[in-house]
Amino acid sequence: MTGLELQHVTMRFGGLTAVGDLNAVIEPTGLVGLIGPNGAGKTTVFNVITGVYSPTQGDVKFLGKSIKSLKPNEINQHGISRTFQNIRLFRGMSVFDNIRVSYAPRTNNKIIGSLLRMGGFYKEEKEVAMKIDRLLEFFNLSHTRDEQAISLPYGDQRRVEIIRALATSPKLLLLDEPAAGMNPTEKVNLMKLIRQLRDEFKIAILLIEHDMSLVMGVCEQIMVLDYGVKIAEGTPKQISENKHVIEAYLGEVVE
Amino acid sequence: MRPQLIFALIFAGLIGLSLVTGKIDPYYYTVIIFIGINITMATSLNLINGFTGQFSLGHAGFMGVGAYVSAIASTFLTTHGLGTEVMGGVPVMAIALLVGGLAAALTGLAVGIPSLRLKGDYLAIVTLGFNEIIRVIIQNVDFKIDGISYVGGARGFAVPQLSSFLWVFGIALVAIYFVENLINSTYGRGFLAVRDDEVAAEAMGVHTTRFKVRAFVIGSFFAGIGGGLFAHFIQYITPDNFTFLKSIEIVVMVILGGMGSTYGVILAAILLTIMPEALREFSEYRMIIYSLMLIVLMIARPQGLFGSETFTRFFAKRKAAANKV
Repeated sequence: MTGLELQHVTMRFGGLTAVGDLNAVIEPTGLVGLIGPNGAGKTTVFNVITGVYSPTQGDVKFLGKSIKSLKPNEINQHGISRTFQNIRLFRGMSVFDNIRVSYAPRTNNKIIGSLLRMGGFYKEEKEVAMKIDRLLEFFNLSHTRDEQAISLPYGDQRRVEIIRALATSPKLLLLDEPAAGMNPTEKVNLMKLIRQLRDEFKIAILLIEHDMSLVMGVCEQIMVLDYGVKIAEGTPKQISENKHVIEAYLGEVVE
Repeated sequence: MRPQLIFALIFAGLIGLSLVTGKIDPYYYTVIIFIGINITMATSLNLINGFTGQFSLGHAGFMGVGAYVSAIASTFLTTHGLGTEVMGGVPVMAIALLVGGLAAALTGLAVGIPSLRLKGDYLAIVTLGFNEIIRVIIQNVDFKIDGISYVGGARGFAVPQLSSFLWVFGIALVAIYFVENLINSTYGRGFLAVRDDEVAAEAMGVHTTRFKVRAFVIGSFFAGIGGGLFAHFIQYITPDNFTFLKSIEIVVMVILGGMGSTYGVILAAILLTIMPEALREFSEYRMIIYSLMLIVLMIARPQGLFGSETFTRFFAKRKAAANKV
């Protein structure tokens, strides 16, 4: 069974073709990088997968089922979760509460349970808190638990976003430029963390990244987009030797 | 201490207080009752405007629906055997309030499903328009059952006196308890997520429209009950009691109290009910002074009296700051 499958996905905005006839497969525990110059359509691909946009043509399948006409919240319920390029943490909430939102659509105690605080309400709340604390510990962020999420350093905010996405127990995690704004040490740690995530949680990860060393170091497979078209696909080694990619993107990096 | 216990204690205190309300000057008694009703109204609107971030300007419309429907229910019941003499009028009032609240909640559902797809200013305008529609409909309804006039159009509707201190503040307490419990649960974090960032909330699996509609329906339910309490206290209601000016009055309480702070909103409801009364001695300058005070308060504390802080955290921070110095 394949994980995610993009079949001839095309996304047009008026006369502009942001993504053209894209075919791709991501295995259930794949670790795939999506790269390309600015404006190549990478984030659009994420938005198509997560239901923000419905593709103009083609189909998106996840675990064998078509998810192309589903809403973002339904796609999340199917097991796809994401982070955002321009961090979108909940401004008024602590780190703990930001992650807690991911459990809001998944609790057994909905309105009545919460109002009357009956039916194992306290037990469930305790379980949720334990799960969040465990995730915070895994990311070494326990000390930030009660701080306002948006007051954290940039790198920590990105990691909180990753935790929030993981808390929805996804089978596929989409990371949109997870290393943006991080310093070199943070980046190295992030690389290790991303691999660890995949091994620990047994999930597939698709990540957009501009930092070549990060993508080459961590991903097992890489897709290159240019002007919305896939120009290459393969292992990091193959990509770094690919003529088209060098022309389009890596030009000066590889001598 | 669990919240249930605290609220039980406060309720016991209310029962004690209700024993002495007969000795209070009727004027002050009226102001106190209005405080209680406004607390219910502001707390319920805070769930919609403050916690879920949906700017509704139609709260008085739901209050009107609740007021009229509960008044119809109580008038019908008192003239059909279930009078005020049966158990001190408690069953009539309970049924009337429940029916009024449910009618308002249903109206909230009918208005909410189409209009909550709109955002910000558009939603405000639609709810404002809806408020006026309700008022105009009431103005044109008038019917008789067994020779007794119901609703009465623009003339007004005489309602049996059934409200009391205990009813008004008991309901206010229930409204506070419900909203606080709901918001401070994992499920309730969904409402705040909708307010803070809809796109991110959806990406985490939160069905944003559903959360908005639920906040709207629960808020309308309590607005309807607040209307019922109001109708059965002043005993004569006209459509003019529920114009959009009343809606704005409640919105001001929510904004002044700090969007999304239940205790700030309660404090604002108390302040804004007392202020116009306390300023009566300035006669014609009353509303000018009232408006000036609002402007000064908003400039001094744009985040509201409490901001989004909870009561305990607000004072804990003050204390920590004082200890530092």
